Amino acid sequence: MKQFLTNVYAVALKEYKHIVRDPFTLAVALVMPLVFVFCFGFIIDLDYKHIKITVRDNDQSAESRRFLYMLSAGGYFDLTPVHSPLAADEDLYKNKFPGLMIIQKNFGKNIRAGDVQNPARVQLMADGADNARAGIILNYMTAVSQEAEKIFGSSPRFNADMVRTRFLFNPELNNRWFIVPALSTIIIALLSILLTALTVAKEWENGSMELLLSTPVRPYEIVAGKLAPYFGLSFFNILLIFILAVLVFKIPFNGSFILYLSACVIFIIGALALGILISIITRSQTAAIQFAFAIGMLPGFVFSGFIFPIENMPAFFRGLTFIFPQRWFLTISRSLFLSDASFSALAVPFICLTIFSCVMVLLSVKKFKKDVEP
Amino acid sequence: MSSKEIIRVENLTVAFGSFKAVDGISFDVKRGEIFGFLGANGAGKTTTIRTICGLLNPSSGKVFVDGKDVSSDTTALKPHIGYMSQKFTLYKDLTIKENMEFAGALYNMKAADIKKKIKVLADFIKLEFDENSIVADLPGGVKQMVSLCATLLHEPDLVFLDEPTAGVSPQTRADFWGLIKDLSGRGTTVFVTTHYMDEASYCGRIVLMSAGKIVAVGTPEELVENNFPKPFAELVFKDARAVEKIKTEINASVFARAENYGAGLRAEIIDNGRFKIFSADNKNIFEIKTSAPTLEDVFLKLVS
Repeated sequence: MKQFLTNVYAVALKEYKHIVRDPFTLAVALVMPLVFVFCFGFIIDLDYKHIKITVRDNDQSAESRRFLYMLSAGGYFDLTPVHSPLAADEDLYKNKFPGLMIIQKNFGKNIRAGDVQNPARVQLMADGADNARAGIILNYMTAVSQEAEKIFGSSPRFNADMVRTRFLFNPELNNRWFIVPALSTIIIALLSILLTALTVAKEWENGSMELLLSTPVRPYEIVAGKLAPYFGLSFFNILLIFILAVLVFKIPFNGSFILYLSACVIFIIGALALGILISIITRSQTAAIQFAFAIGMLPGFVFSGFIFPIENMPAFFRGLTFIFPQRWFLTISRSLFLSDASFSALAVPFICLTIFSCVMVLLSVKKFKKDVEP
Repeated sequence: MSSKEIIRVENLTVAFGSFKAVDGISFDVKRGEIFGFLGANGAGKTTTIRTICGLLNPSSGKVFVDGKDVSSDTTALKPHIGYMSQKFTLYKDLTIKENMEFAGALYNMKAADIKKKIKVLADFIKLEFDENSIVADLPGGVKQMVSLCATLLHEPDLVFLDEPTAGVSPQTRADFWGLIKDLSGRGTTVFVTTHYMDEASYCGRIVLMSAGKIVAVGTPEELVENNFPKPFAELVFKDARAVEKIKTEINASVFARAENYGAGLRAEIIDNGRFKIFSADNKNIFEIKTSAPTLEDVFLKLVS
């Protein structure tokens, strides 16, 4: 045991010196998270606001004006009235505006009448070339229509099939609240994998691995020693992101901090071990870095639920997300930021994350070659 | 172990796929000797060393170090050997001292012992640089010396030096061999590979390898003696007729092989009696003297 600790300490100390002597790595490790957080937190705003819509009001009643007022009041739409059907068509045709809305004649009259057979009609045409934006326009429009139903509430049809959506935990549907807690997942996965992916490959490339293997040091001691300093670096990063999230982005943290930190520890160890495993297998820094980017980046964005909701994925891909730790850490991170989820509510993600990390550590020790066989 | 042999290699073959890097070699190394492993690049020297160190597995055959089978137990062996590989393997971004401390720690040495030992080794190699210099900033020869120190730090009984003098200046090469002699004088067994034939004369015994096979074993003197019982003749041309003359005499009864040598030829004498007659006859055309055969000659004869 004492020998184990001495050897791990020796390897860790050496790795620590490599990190400190290499300002570039250190800069990447410390600056990349900041760049990510600020890019995603400030610049990339998945919310569309001020979407330009051309409006032709064929009714010109008090009700139609009220409806248009509600549409523009939300800040989501900038309305441009046009007064001839031709002009409206032309605007849409020339791709001037992403949407065109036509309020049908008798809009006001039909609302007042409240007749199910003959409801008030609004026609909306959205530019389908940008389907994400078109979808958003429709969503907003639905929300505004529901709002309108409440106000014009006399209509029996409105009351009959009123659909209400309420967003729990993020009532404003503030994207930043979703993005920043999830960012720690992407940054840690990418950075941890990247950092350790280079370490073993570097030893192979400059020949020091041969030397290491000729000494009595054991593979698990090398793996543990290499994990330690990078663990420190990654943990520092995760705290940094946490502080930014809470202080700069004012995201509420509702859950248990201890629980959050434990998830971080498990996740970081797993990601670092995965990096080492890549390094052990590839033995070359160039190959390792490509692997690390692919494995660190892609699942983080695609299979974690960061951008695409897991529930909407085809069954095969939904199943695939199970093997990526990013999925589990993301769930834990979001839940703990936005709700006060208890451990029992997060048991499944915790267990899956732990299994992943254990498997990675065991595999990297097992795959670590004790000889220089090609 | 009191046995005379520290390494015994029996019928060792190491194959990578269908390629046999080492092909059925057997030899042994005596305790405390300087054992030279000679051969061109790709002859299988490094593969043999790696196998003895337990870094490669034999495809067939056995390797015993200190009487123990290497393939069954490498952990017991490792503290007793020091391996300086062909590639420069110290960490270039660390200082001399940090590299030493790391190496020492892996051999379970105490910090205080490491400190003392660094001083001793720095004297040993007459290190003129501060121990806090970053390794990357050192000249090539010094790097190699420091690398040797890292190998010797834990006082191994058996040291493997794989081409330690490749690519260093002649002065450093001479210094290096001085150190190797010193080491051997202290009872350390030194197993060294080189492709400089002139260095082989420093070795107690040598093995000559070619294409994975051993072509000769023995002391340098034995190898020369066995292959070239007679001296060489050095012929320097005095005029143009010599060129014609030698063409007829070579491959005849006087000389065996001949090769260009400076302004003339160097040829192996077959028969001393006939050589004397040849010398007397051709005094006017050639300047003739005899010279001792070298290991280089042996190598050329056996390998090519």
